[in-house]
Amino acid sequence: MIYHVRHRTILRYASPMRLARFNLRLRPAPWMGQWTSDYALRVDPAPSIIESRPAAWPVHVARLVIESPIRQLTIESSFRAGVQHGAPIVPDAGDPTVATVAQAALRDRDMGPSAPAHYLFASPRAPLLAAIGAWVGDTLAPDRPIVAAALDLALRIKAEFAYQPGATTAATPVADAFAARHGVCQDFAHVMVVALRLAGLPAAYVSGYLRTLPPPGMPRLVGADAMHAWAMLWCGPTRGWIGFDPTNGVITGDDHLFVAMGRDYADVAPMDGLFVGGAGQSLSVMVDVAPEDEKEPA
Amino acid sequence: MGIDVQLNWADAYLAQAPVGDLFAGASPTMAMRWRTMLDQLSTQAQADPAILADHVARQAIDLGMAFRHTGDEEERSWPLGPVPLLVDAAEWAHIERGLIQRADLLERVVSDIYSTQSLVRDGKLPASIVTGSPHYWRVMTGTPPPRGHHLHFYAADIGRGPTGEWRVLADRVRTPVGVGYALENRLALSRATGDLLGTMNTRRLAPFFDELRRGLAADCERTDPRIGLLTPGRFNQSYAEQAHLARYLGLLLVEGDDLIVSDGRLFVRTIQGLKRIDGLWRWMDSRFLDPLAFDGQSRIGVPDLYDACARGGLMVSNWPGAGVIESRAFAAFLPQLAQAMLGTDLILPNIATWWCGQPRECDHVRARIDDLVVGSAFLADAPFTPGATLDRDQRAALFDAMARRPMDYVGQEVVKLSTTPAVIDGQLTPLPFTLRIFVARDATGRWRVMPGGFARLAGHGDIRAALMGQGDMSADLCVVDSSPVPPDSLLGGAPAIRRIGGMLPAKAADNLYWLGRYIERTEMTLRLIRAIVGGSIEADLGPSLASPTMARLVDQLALWGAVPGRGGAVGPLCATALGDARQSGSVRALMATVANIGEGLRDRLSSDVWRLVRLPLPGFDAAVTETLLDASSRMIERMSALSGLAAENMGRTEGWRFHDMGRRMERAVNGCRLIALFGGDNASADDLMLLLDLMDSQISYRTRYLTGPALPPVRDLVALEPHNPRAIAWQALRLADHVAALPTLRADGMPEEPRRLADALAARLAPLTGDTLTMADIADVENRLLRLSEAIGQRYFLQLHKTQDADILS
Repeated sequence: MIYHVRHRTILRYASPMRLARFNLRLRPAPWMGQWTSDYALRVDPAPSIIESRPAAWPVHVARLVIESPIRQLTIESSFRAGVQHGAPIVPDAGDPTVATVAQAALRDRDMGPSAPAHYLFASPRAPLLAAIGAWVGDTLAPDRPIVAAALDLALRIKAEFAYQPGATTAATPVADAFAARHGVCQDFAHVMVVALRLAGLPAAYVSGYLRTLPPPGMPRLVGADAMHAWAMLWCGPTRGWIGFDPTNGVITGDDHLFVAMGRDYADVAPMDGLFVGGAGQSLSVMVDVAPEDEKEPA
Repeated sequence: MGIDVQLNWADAYLAQAPVGDLFAGASPTMAMRWRTMLDQLSTQAQADPAILADHVARQAIDLGMAFRHTGDEEERSWPLGPVPLLVDAAEWAHIERGLIQRADLLERVVSDIYSTQSLVRDGKLPASIVTGSPHYWRVMTGTPPPRGHHLHFYAADIGRGPTGEWRVLADRVRTPVGVGYALENRLALSRATGDLLGTMNTRRLAPFFDELRRGLAADCERTDPRIGLLTPGRFNQSYAEQAHLARYLGLLLVEGDDLIVSDGRLFVRTIQGLKRIDGLWRWMDSRFLDPLAFDGQSRIGVPDLYDACARGGLMVSNWPGAGVIESRAFAAFLPQLAQAMLGTDLILPNIATWWCGQPRECDHVRARIDDLVVGSAFLADAPFTPGATLDRDQRAALFDAMARRPMDYVGQEVVKLSTTPAVIDGQLTPLPFTLRIFVARDATGRWRVMPGGFARLAGHGDIRAALMGQGDMSADLCVVDSSPVPPDSLLGGAPAIRRIGGMLPAKAADNLYWLGRYIERTEMTLRLIRAIVGGSIEADLGPSLASPTMARLVDQLALWGAVPGRGGAVGPLCATALGDARQSGSVRALMATVANIGEGLRDRLSSDVWRLVRLPLPGFDAAVTETLLDASSRMIERMSALSGLAAENMGRTEGWRFHDMGRRMERAVNGCRLIALFGGDNASADDLMLLLDLMDSQISYRTRYLTGPALPPVRDLVALEPHNPRAIAWQALRLADHVAALPTLRADGMPEEPRRLADALAARLAPLTGDTLTMADIADVENRLLRLSEAIGQRYFLQLHKTQDADILS
């Protein structure tokens, strides 16, 4: 499947923003089963500095500096991407158990950006909350096969949490979203990551895009989406990393476009940094993930 | 000797000292030195340990030594025990060798983690030992420090077992908290005990700090480098220590917002524009250093500091990410790593540690849980739990947690610590102790051990937690030689002579200016209060608020926020203006602001100034006018003492100029205010008398004029007379002098805005005389003063943006 992705963010300020130094994490980092081409980043007004930064994780970071006062900032990231994961991943009776994977993760000697050892521990936005451990219970019992257990966890989140856009923000701590049993993809991905790590498993937070499937006979909705987020679990040296989308209760496949992977939201946040001035910010985001054959005529 | 012979201190102590005590277990030679020391201390303190403790405590207070526990609003006075610990040269040499070897090993391990990671790849170190640390920053991989030195300093907590064997309890490389306190402990102790330390041949600490400074400088790119001590700010637990060290070592004490990265270089914002910084001794964790590269929530760091590190040419001590080595779990691997990397055993063993991330070790910890303590594998300051204290449910819960996340736990053998003499409730008492020993690189990159250290005596509880637990005490550690210690030779020759003190950061200039303004405002508020209480008003006026003069005086106090408004009797009114902290303009509130600003200048203020600023208000009784009078007079004396210190003791640096400008500015603005109130066209004789009094010009007036106060001569004296240091004109001339002497950023020789305004102000006043001066002139002068103050702030204090002028970068 080949997609055309266009992601536009417009920030407006009631009083001028005088200085901005910030990171953008919008360009897909390389990931298996996926390629990217024709990447373009347009920023208006043009920044005085724009350069790419080294990152600790499979994340592409662009650093921008804007030094003149502005009232509006438009950022548009666009690219073509192909996703080809082959046959859908399904749980298998021969999968290693939760305990086996946890032990393998501790023995693994890799230190690369996607090495399981980096994703075993609490991180700033993913504290290991005992309450989540109690809630998980036997879903991640040590003797269960790993893929089936993790899919059950994703399904439980989908079933037991209310999807409520606006109920939480990007800054909501996972503890609050968990206690209220509601939120959006970011909250659910955090809950899943924390639950997996509490069982001693290496779990990552992934940001990306989701193709919105149209209902039969209806045109696909355009521009209604934001970026998506899900969890990824290292399922042992053979199975490797597998994505689980707790918002939709599925194992990720060709409908999911990988952009960045980190320990939690803070590592992959689409935009963060320092902004001087600029009170009264309002934000509008438009994301369009269109299969190539549906591409509108230019 | 009588029948009633009292045991001397040494014998009294030995009678109760447990086995393995540092004194009781000392060699015969060392035991003699302990005795000699205790005898001398006893003689000095008239045989009463309480007196000795008091002597030392007073010295510590005098030095301004203080600290905070996390969450403390106010600093606490420093609990310094009066009896130093004695270690002889041979024992010390063993400790030195052990710690130098360990520092070497830690450097190699950190270097490997952030470069080739061969230790992990070859299976000598589990990956999750590294990645589990909150101080591991993968983004630092492949970003080597200058000369390959990730570590410039290293501090080890060591404990001595009852059999006399030393063991390393913890390794610290993030901040060497305690090194400044160790220095101050030594200072307080030697002040309190005269020549005692010298006659005992105690090794001196100063050469170590000289080496440390040279070691930092040696890794900087430029030969005469500018090095900053980066502090998290005045609310940090060890801020006082950081300020003291910065002053002692001649480093620039800076906070994150003093610094800016431009094109990959680090600069400090000074009154002369941006000045390059060559090195940073950071006293904050890596995560806070750069919000764009580490923790985005940090508000105390420097944006893009990571860039400056990655680009090269910036020394940061210790290098970001070095803290990874502090994890307790490392202790389980260091013995093997010593074999693998150094080909030898550890000279100083560390406390036996088992990391539960390995199945066999985890089983071992479970099996021996009653003999061990269990704690976090990665958080060096988290408490340990002795396994034996757990009940059945707690144990089951722990084992359950260990089954799910074994890598988060370590087991350690229980530390048995030997004791040393301390003074508790006036008695010499044995207390268990640990030592924090400091190691730093010298100019050649070799490790040096500070010959002394920070001894922590356990009040109660777990002695391995923070630097100072509740109820703990510190003590000095003396390394004693058998022959006299030669006086310091200056290593590497004397430094080049210089007559100017270096950079003035913009924020320090800002603070100094406002320190001056607030001190002056306090003084004027006190003069108003004193005038109301009747301190100097003619006897027949009396302390009454009925007269229009008095009413206006109270109004002015209300305008400054010292009292809520008119009304009430003299006593309560003045008591409020003096001591009510809720009134933002009361003397108490103003002095709190002065102390607050002063704290941001700890490295630049002498301890005399600091002590005066922090002295509590003198007591007073609202019902007894004399006490109010006395309190305000004593406070005015204190303000004069501060003026005197500034006039006589502050070097004529730019820092002094900003402080003095603050005072001149405030005095001039207040002068305008008072002339408007009491020197107007309809001013009464009472008004003029009061004006002369508030502006401290009574005597001058009386020596010059035989008549009572008349408007033109009074106005001339308090507003225009250029020789009267209380007159507005005098302030204006001093302001013009100061501004003229400050550095300019312009290369074209044109005057900057503050210079133009200050010169214009002086020129505005020059042609006026007491009989031509109008109230409109006064209003205009006040306006010009406010504009000048604004311009000074704009030019020198605020530099949010990188300036475009490349010439000022140096």
